Amino acid sequence: MELKSVMNRYGLKQKIFSIAPLFGLIALVVCFLAAATAKDLNIAYSMKNILNQSVVVAVIATGAIFIYTLGSFDISLGASACVSALVGGMVYNATGSVTLMFLTCVGVAVAIALINSVLASVFNLPVFVTTVAMLSVLNAVVLMLININGTGSQIAVPTDAVAGLNTTWFKLLVLVLFFAVCLFVFDFTKIGRLQKFLGGNPVCAKLSGINNKRLAIIAFVMSGIAVGLGSFLSITYAPTLTKNTASSVGMDVIISIVFGGMPVSGGARSRIYAAVVGAFSMTFLNQIMVMFNLNSGIGQMVKAVIFLIVVSLAMSNQRNKEILPR
Amino acid sequence: MERKAVVEIRDMTKNFGITRALDRVDITVYAGEICGLIGENGSGKSTATSIYAGMQSCDNGQMFFKGERWQPSSMMDALEHGVGMIVQENGTVPGITVAENIFLGESARFRKGPLIRRTEMIRKANEILKSIGADHIEASAVTASLDFQDRKLVEIARVMGKKPEVLVVDETTTALSQKGRDIIYDIMDKMKTDGKTVIFISHDLDEIMEVCDRLTVLRDGKIIRTFEKDEFDEEAVKTSMIGRELKGDYYRSDYDGSYGQEVVAELRQANLGDQLKNLSLQLHKGEILGIGGLSHCGMHTLGKVLFGAVKPESGEALVHGKPVRDEAYAMKEKVGYVAKDRDVESLCLDASIRDNISVAGLDQFAVSRFLILPSKEKAYVKQQVDDLSIKCRSAEQYVSALSGGNKQKVAFGKWTGRGSEILILDCPTRGVDIGVKQAMYQLMYRMKKEGKSILLISEEMAELIGMSDRLIVMKDGEIKKEFRREEKLSESDMIRYMI
Amino acid sequence: MKKWRRLTAFLLTAAMVLMMACTVMAEAPEMDESETVKIGVLVSDTTSAEALAFRAYYEEYIQNQYNVNFMYSDELKDSAGEASAIDNFIANNCKAVISLSSFDRPAQIAQCSGAGVYYAVATGTLTDEEYEAAKTNEYYVGAIGPDLMTEYQTGYDMAKYFLDEGKTKFAIFGGAIPYYTDMHIYRAAGMLAAMCDVGEGSYKDATGMDIIGKIYEDGAVETGAIGNVEVVGYVGGYDMDDAWFGKCGEMAQTEGLEVILAVGNGSDFFGAAKGEGVQIASVDAYADSYKEAMEAGTLNYLAGKFSASIGPIFMATYSAVKGYPIRDAEGNALALSQGYWVADSAETFNTYYAVDSSKEEPAYTKEMLDGLFGSSYDDFAAFVSAYTFDEIQGLK
Repeated sequence: MELKSVMNRYGLKQKIFSIAPLFGLIALVVCFLAAATAKDLNIAYSMKNILNQSVVVAVIATGAIFIYTLGSFDISLGASACVSALVGGMVYNATGSVTLMFLTCVGVAVAIALINSVLASVFNLPVFVTTVAMLSVLNAVVLMLININGTGSQIAVPTDAVAGLNTTWFKLLVLVLFFAVCLFVFDFTKIGRLQKFLGGNPVCAKLSGINNKRLAIIAFVMSGIAVGLGSFLSITYAPTLTKNTASSVGMDVIISIVFGGMPVSGGARSRIYAAVVGAFSMTFLNQIMVMFNLNSGIGQMVKAVIFLIVVSLAMSNQRNKEILPR
Repeated sequence: MERKAVVEIRDMTKNFGITRALDRVDITVYAGEICGLIGENGSGKSTATSIYAGMQSCDNGQMFFKGERWQPSSMMDALEHGVGMIVQENGTVPGITVAENIFLGESARFRKGPLIRRTEMIRKANEILKSIGADHIEASAVTASLDFQDRKLVEIARVMGKKPEVLVVDETTTALSQKGRDIIYDIMDKMKTDGKTVIFISHDLDEIMEVCDRLTVLRDGKIIRTFEKDEFDEEAVKTSMIGRELKGDYYRSDYDGSYGQEVVAELRQANLGDQLKNLSLQLHKGEILGIGGLSHCGMHTLGKVLFGAVKPESGEALVHGKPVRDEAYAMKEKVGYVAKDRDVESLCLDASIRDNISVAGLDQFAVSRFLILPSKEKAYVKQQVDDLSIKCRSAEQYVSALSGGNKQKVAFGKWTGRGSEILILDCPTRGVDIGVKQAMYQLMYRMKKEGKSILLISEEMAELIGMSDRLIVMKDGEIKKEFRREEKLSESDMIRYMI
Repeated sequence: MKKWRRLTAFLLTAAMVLMMACTVMAEAPEMDESETVKIGVLVSDTTSAEALAFRAYYEEYIQNQYNVNFMYSDELKDSAGEASAIDNFIANNCKAVISLSSFDRPAQIAQCSGAGVYYAVATGTLTDEEYEAAKTNEYYVGAIGPDLMTEYQTGYDMAKYFLDEGKTKFAIFGGAIPYYTDMHIYRAAGMLAAMCDVGEGSYKDATGMDIIGKIYEDGAVETGAIGNVEVVGYVGGYDMDDAWFGKCGEMAQTEGLEVILAVGNGSDFFGAAKGEGVQIASVDAYADSYKEAMEAGTLNYLAGKFSASIGPIFMATYSAVKGYPIRDAEGNALALSQGYWVADSAETFNTYYAVDSSKEEPAYTKEMLDGLFGSSYDDFAAFVSAYTFDEIQGLK
């Protein structure tokens, strides 16, 4: 009772829960390094591997945080990444320019995001409804793009063209720069504040003069940029693109941001770093499972249990049970 | 005849953060009596009863019900065993029918195989509604279609349907019209007559002294004094509540109802269903314009229309002579709006005090109109916290953990912080204790003197009479009467035009 | 003088014999099993009968016979998954990768060789261009599997078997033809070629190997008459939704249908739905589910990979890791073809199945594989080419 009292007095519980995911990541890193040392793993290569496996999801999820903060979600992220990558690949094959490929990836992703958000605004629908429709459209576009290209199953960018960018430093640069921009917008500009408030209470937000449509469009544009960057990074890592490229991104994004401590309903307690923390946490956890040869079956169950524990701990903080009666 | 103790609370303690809400409190309530609990916000009266009614648990102490140890696991458990509570805020689920709300959690009672006998449920619900005098409510209606008052009556029906031995009425009457209050008073009287027990919590001293047999005063989590019926004295009670004599006037002391010539905001022939019927009014610079009436008279809608939150079907709302497009426009014209439904419309409960206060004033301290520097924001928020004496651990504390009065201060601070020149206040002192109310009235008067304009919408006649320069009475969407500020103006003058 | 000549001749002969003996002794490779060798296995499919049978052979037989540890990837859906899985293998100190996944083989080879890890292809082949680019790469061990001509012949033999029985009404299950998967196209082309030969007709004016191009053009097989034989139905793809299953059921019930020829697994999709007397032929593996299907009569002909067929490529990889790569005279990597065991009755199936599923005496036992360790390319090729059931029994 004493401890509870002290914690309440200084709001320690609130503080602890807000940084708990970070501690979780640190704990996973420590476990990984300890296990890797014991098993005599190639740690340098492993860390590079972890970056490779996390960076695409981390970048896309960081952009997606803007959407989730509004209390919305976008189910078409994976399909959007696939279309952006395919069109980018086709542009490269037509022009031989990596720069054009990059600009295409980002441009296509932003265009898809704008369509989603503007359509929702015009038809006055919740934005996630348009993303559901967009998912079907994009899946059809993927098949069409692959067929247009002739092989019917893939669009391949020459490995040499992107080999120079398939490096640790480039991936880190993209991640760090994009995260810095998002952190700035989210925590140090009006846009971020208004989005968090809108996600927390749309009724009160409206009565505080907040324009939800404009903010939704901005959120989707940020997400679109992230998807474009992510799809470009996907091409550099695996330049043979098929209809399955980035297929698991949608689910991985949701899992990562929740694992990273982001409230599912968004709002004022949203954290921009949740995506990066969550993506890397998931990858470290995966690698630990792989090390012990538990990367399927039991491994999936272990991950599911850990996920449930993390989410229920986070939710228990959000549902404030100790409320004064009024 | 020896009084039988029904409700006993012994040595109860409860903490919320730094707040000691209850400090070794002892309360006993007897059968066949209406016991009043009164005190400022944070005094502990609602905390004690909510613990007894199963809403939350205490840190220390014991409870007894009819001599037996009492430890309900939830409000539903408490109600099942004879203790029901009606709370101040909304306690119904909007998306389901009235009958489903009345029998919330009890649908198994009407189950036949895999199906629910809805007709039976509706019939029984209508019976309960009739028994409490709310037969104007149809049990098959969707709850969201009812207004706040009727939803409150549904809640009452839910509790009374279980025929509780102990009924706790927590600040419920402040949200109700006269008819609603009468329903509650009838219920309380009947319970008393039947030898049952009522605990009545209210800020309205007149009401509580009228209705109760005994009155217990709490302050800062402690029992201060219990008054028997023959000891009831308004000043003595107020003094016990505040711990000092209430110095100065509660409302304004002057009867000078003058204001500037300039019209800062107006409604021109606004029409909106049966809420507003060809309604025109003007708000002047330096004026406190009071709007009063029954709950459904349209005054709450009027406030929203003037703020641009609701568009009239015809007519217009103007600020400084220009039509109000939306809330953002109104804010640009320095209009602020404190809504009646505080927790839903004025505040984001999951956000911090800082977030709630700064959200409406970002353009006041943002650099280059978009960059937020934490230091500037902190200073901006601290100013409001200090000016309004908001009791909190820090500006990072979540608003949900504040008392009603402090929440209202945060809602105020949101608008005063950005220098609002025109304030639309809808029931601004609802659920707020005397001390804070007085501070708010003084603030309103100070603002008037500074040349700011206030549209005060309220269901408390005394407040309107006490504060307004001009007072408009509405009924059924129309203005029925306008009064000027004068000493002789009384509540009965208003009532004549309200009903 | 005569004595000295005889002595010299004797000494020279003895010296030559001694030298030959030394050479032989010097060339005998030593299998040093002191250190555990970790081998990563890339699989795009983890649940099919074939995948499970292959995995059982490696994990339940090979792993018990040699000091090796197999590390399997999860199910892979694209080349990014392959790259990620190989990264995991490298990070976990795998010395080699055996690949049963083919989204992007050149990328796989480049990734492995870049990290100094050996790479081999099991139960598959590289295209000619891919092989040309990789054959001299010291980390590329090689590929053993049915080449495209073998696939064509498999399809041809399958159709011919039923044509020789007098059947004339066929339906074809095209599997991954819509995704332009070469092996399925070649199998289907072989089936149609057999029909052209026996039915004395043509498929869209093409016969023999020319049919391959026709299928590529359409991404499907067209129904219709081929001389006095007829293709009465065709379903392709693996949509696995209600509409697709509906199409499969409809095809299996076609009026007059006699045989369903499947380029992949046929009994799972058509076995339950087929009409009375309709026969089904599949290309897959020797697994439990097909044993039941054969005995129940829902499968009548199976061209199946035997699970031990991935034994030789394991040994070639193991040999390379231990310092004894198997290369031809020009130093090129392995490129060997290996086909299927064909069972056309439950009895034959059961005989093959008993060997294939045996954990004590599989088709390729340790003793047989040991003989491949550090062997010459020609010896290795000869061993692999004797892949039929009877030939293998002869080798034991």
